[in-house]
This record gives sequence, C-alpha cells and structure tokens, in this order.
Amino acid sequence: MSLLTRLSRGRAPATSALKRAYASVADASGVKVAAVEGGAPPATASVTVVVKAGSRYETQPGVAHVLKSFAFKSTDAGSALKTAREAELYGGVLSAALSREHLFLTAEFLRGDEAHFLNVLASVLSSTHFYPHEYAELVLPTIQAESLSALASPTTLALDLAHSTAFRRGLGNSLFASPHSPVSAADVKSFAQKAFAKSNIAVLGAGLSTDQLAKAVQSAFGSGSATGSSGLSGGSTTYYGGEQRVPLDVHAGPSAQPTLVIAYGSTGAPSADLKALPHLLGGVSALKWTPGSTPLSLAADKVPGASAKAFLLPYSDASLFGVVVTAPTSEGVAAVAKDVAAAIKAAGSAKDEEVKRAVAKAKFADATVLESSAGLIATAGASLFSGSIPSPDSSFAALQKVSASSIGKAASDLFKQKPTVVAVGDLNVLPYADELGL
Amino acid sequence: MVLLGGPLGISLAPQIKAYSGGLYKALKPLANAYANVVGHRKMGLKYDDLITEEREDIQRALGRLTTREEYDRSFRMRQAFQQSVMHKPLPKAQWLKPSEDDRYLTPRINQVVKEDDERTLYDTMSVEKRK
Repeated sequence: MSLLTRLSRGRAPATSALKRAYASVADASGVKVAAVEGGAPPATASVTVVVKAGSRYETQPGVAHVLKSFAFKSTDAGSALKTAREAELYGGVLSAALSREHLFLTAEFLRGDEAHFLNVLASVLSSTHFYPHEYAELVLPTIQAESLSALASPTTLALDLAHSTAFRRGLGNSLFASPHSPVSAADVKSFAQKAFAKSNIAVLGAGLSTDQLAKAVQSAFGSGSATGSSGLSGGSTTYYGGEQRVPLDVHAGPSAQPTLVIAYGSTGAPSADLKALPHLLGGVSALKWTPGSTPLSLAADKVPGASAKAFLLPYSDASLFGVVVTAPTSEGVAAVAKDVAAAIKAAGSAKDEEVKRAVAKAKFADATVLESSAGLIATAGASLFSGSIPSPDSSFAALQKVSASSIGKAASDLFKQKPTVVAVGDLNVLPYADELGL
Repeated sequence: MVLLGGPLGISLAPQIKAYSGGLYKALKPLANAYANVVGHRKMGLKYDDLITEEREDIQRALGRLTTREEYDRSFRMRQAFQQSVMHKPLPKAQWLKPSEDDRYLTPRINQVVKEDDERTLYDTMSVEKRK
C-alpha cells in the first residue's frame, strides 16, 4: 500500500515532463509543413514527405505499391544511380514506405545537408520519368519480391484479407501489387500526377525547426512541384464483415504458423474506449517469463508456442479492432481461438481495476509512439493534413474518462456487429466463426 | 566480336553532321550508295538489324524495345534467313524502302551506353572533402 501511494505521488512531475512542445503546422507555398525538434540538438535530421496516396486511394489495384517502388528512380535531376550514389556520399538514407492511407518518402541525413535532400525529394515529386524500361528492370523485380515475401507470412496475409473482408473497397484494398492485376508504367504516371498535387502532400521534419524546414521547402518545392490536379478521393468507408479461409502451403517454413484473425470494424475516428480495449484484452506480457494476467495471454498460455494478441488499427474515418491468434499447429489455433472468443464476449463486463490497468497501458503506448521516428512519421505525419499534430496530453484527457461502464458499452456495441474471421492454415481443423460462437 | 568505341563501333557521322561546310550534303550520295551495296534492304532487313547482338549492353537495349518492334524485328530476321537459305534476295517489290530503314535500336543502345558510362564514372571517381 505504501508503495502504491509513493508511486502515485511520484506521478506529478512525470506528467509535467510530458507536456513537451509540439510544433505547430506552417504553410510553405501551399504545402503543410511541421517539424518536431528534440530537446538537445541531435546529429541527424530527417524529412518525410507524406503523400495521401496509400492503397485506399488507388485508381486500380496495386498502383500505390508500384508508385512506392518507383520512388528515387530517374528524374530530371539525374538517374536513379546518381540519386543513390550521392545519398551514399552524403551519408544519408532514402526510403519509401506505404500504409493504407499514406505514402511516406523519407530522407534521413546529417544536419546541414537538408538542402540537398529536399531537392532530391522535390525532384521525385515533380519530375520522376516513370520510364517503362526502369519499371521492367528495376521496379518490377522489387515489387515481386516484396509481395511474395510479405504474403508468405500468414499474419500479414490474414490481416490483408481481414481488411478486404471488413471494408471491401477503399481501406480494403490490398497493400501489395498482385500479378493478377498488372499495372503499366503509364498507369503509375497518371496516378502519380494526381497523388503529387500540392494539396495532397505534407512535409514532416525531425531534428529541424519548423521555420528552417518551411524555408527549405519553399525554395525546393516552390516552383517545380506539380499543381493543379485535385488529388485523389478515397470514398467513404463502410464495415461489412465476413469470413475468409485460405489453406497454408504444406511446404511453408516453420516460421509460417497457422493463423486466425478475429476482427471487428467501426467507422469514425477511434474513441478513447476503443483505444483502451486492446490493452484490456492484452496478449503482450509486460514482464519476462510470465504470461501476465490479461485474458488473451492466459488463453494463449495453455498451448505451448501459441500467441494471441489484440490490435487496433486506426484510420482517418474507420478503425479495425481484432485479435491475431497463432500457434505451431492448426489444432492449437483452434483450441486458443475458443478461449479468445470467450474472452472477447466477456470484455464488456471487465472489472474496474482491469480497466484502470488498460488505460494506463494505453497512455504509455500513446506517449511512446511519438518517441520513435517510425511512430512519429506514422502518427504525426497522418495528422498533418488536419492542420495540427496532437500532443499526448489531449489523448490522456480522453483516456482518463474511460470507465468500466463506458468501455463495456463500447465493447458490446462493437461486438454485436458481424465479425470478420480470417483463417490461414489447415482448413479441415480451423474453426468457422459460428463454431466459435461469434 | 570486340568493337572499338563501344557497341556501335567508331563513327565520324556526328562530326560530319556538326560540320557546317556542306560536307554532309556532299557525302550523303556516297552513303546511300554504300547502303545499297551492303544489300540488307534486298533481304528486307533494317540497318539496325545488322548490329552485333551478342553483347550484354545490346541485349539490354533489345529488352527495351516495344512489343511491336520486337515482333517486327524477328519477322524481318526470319524472312532474311529464309531468303539466305534459298540463296536469293526478295522480289524487288518487297525490298525495304530507304524511308523505312529507320534507326529503331540505336537510340536505345546510346541510352544503355550512357548509363554504363555513368556507372563507371561513379565507380572510379575520387571524393574530395568539401572546403
């Protein structure tokens, strides 16, 4: 007891330390710009161009994945080789990443080299050539390898299928290009022209001041960037739900374990109750050598090598909440899935202290995500378009209001919908949704 | 076959074209006569079909042809092989017209050569520290 009071007293300075200044969003010649400066000046800086051109906005299947792989290929400023070799000489790293809603073009570099790397990013946006021979010789092999290796992982495949079952189109589009729907270099070019419109991009800097970044963006993007076209529209999102079953290749390696995903979607931005819900069900132990006390980790502990983890994937106008169950055998998955379904049904009647624990974990997760550069890009980059970067304080206030009754109501509203169940493994063994009682 | 001066061999054509003293005009009939003597048009071939293709760079350039160009090229090759087996040229009406004898491959070879040169440049350059 005395330890607990000491802990709660020790909290006061911690919350004030969390009140750190987040940069406001500036406007540099029509492009939204924000930079997050760490406390002490770091040796490196990074600039990310966030483009609203994720798989959700695709004009045809796979075109967003191809556009991602076409980043840093030949432009008016020079060939792909020149871009890569110069980045090496400057000691920088150029990378591109794709999410369901956004395309991220990132340059990380030593402080002081921002002029060079912003010019590289600007030339990618304004003057990539999209040569058919580059597509065939450089881009297509990487796309094939990426798709193949990603979809060889049952979890990635199951989550991709869960999205398409839950949302069908828009958010349901696959992240990966497939050989069943070929994309030509001309298709990518016309998609890029719409995607790289100034209203469709935002720039996020780290290790730079917003003024510094805005000035650099103004000079680099000021003239050359494509303007005029009206960007892309993703359409509105509806949740459908349903079931998909895919056999797992018998020759798949030992790391490809049978997987079952149970998911529920909701439209609208995720509420605080929904944010706390995955932490209530849990699945990830906070300590080593113990399964922890959350219902999902207790369920997974019964089968050796099994895991059951709750997740929440938030998007701008919808979110997908669910549980990923994996085990070395399909029989194991079936056994764990039964307990998981029972835990999901019991989530509405959680005890007060369990909810408190979940809220504390949700707060920690919200705060830590902005500490890593990848998390910063994914969360802050996405919210740039709305005109402000949310500080953890605002989400803390919302999470503070979560109670056992409010989370119970949110859970019962969510779980009375039709579930999305994706099974990857031995289909003779893996259960159907109605057999789990969902 | 090893060629001096890259996959297309040595050519003075760019210099002659750049020279403004009417040299190009004076030499053009000679060039036309040479093309007729070579005789590839009698077999239905274009000049670019004669370029040695057993080289890595030319293979890359050939891979960049459009599907239509690739099809037409192999058709001309098969036609020429057939005439060669029969030891006679095509009937005169089917000879390739000089206007059809375009350089469909050369621009692509030049593109490949430029890329290779750039790679050599970056592979062999020496870096100096910025002052």
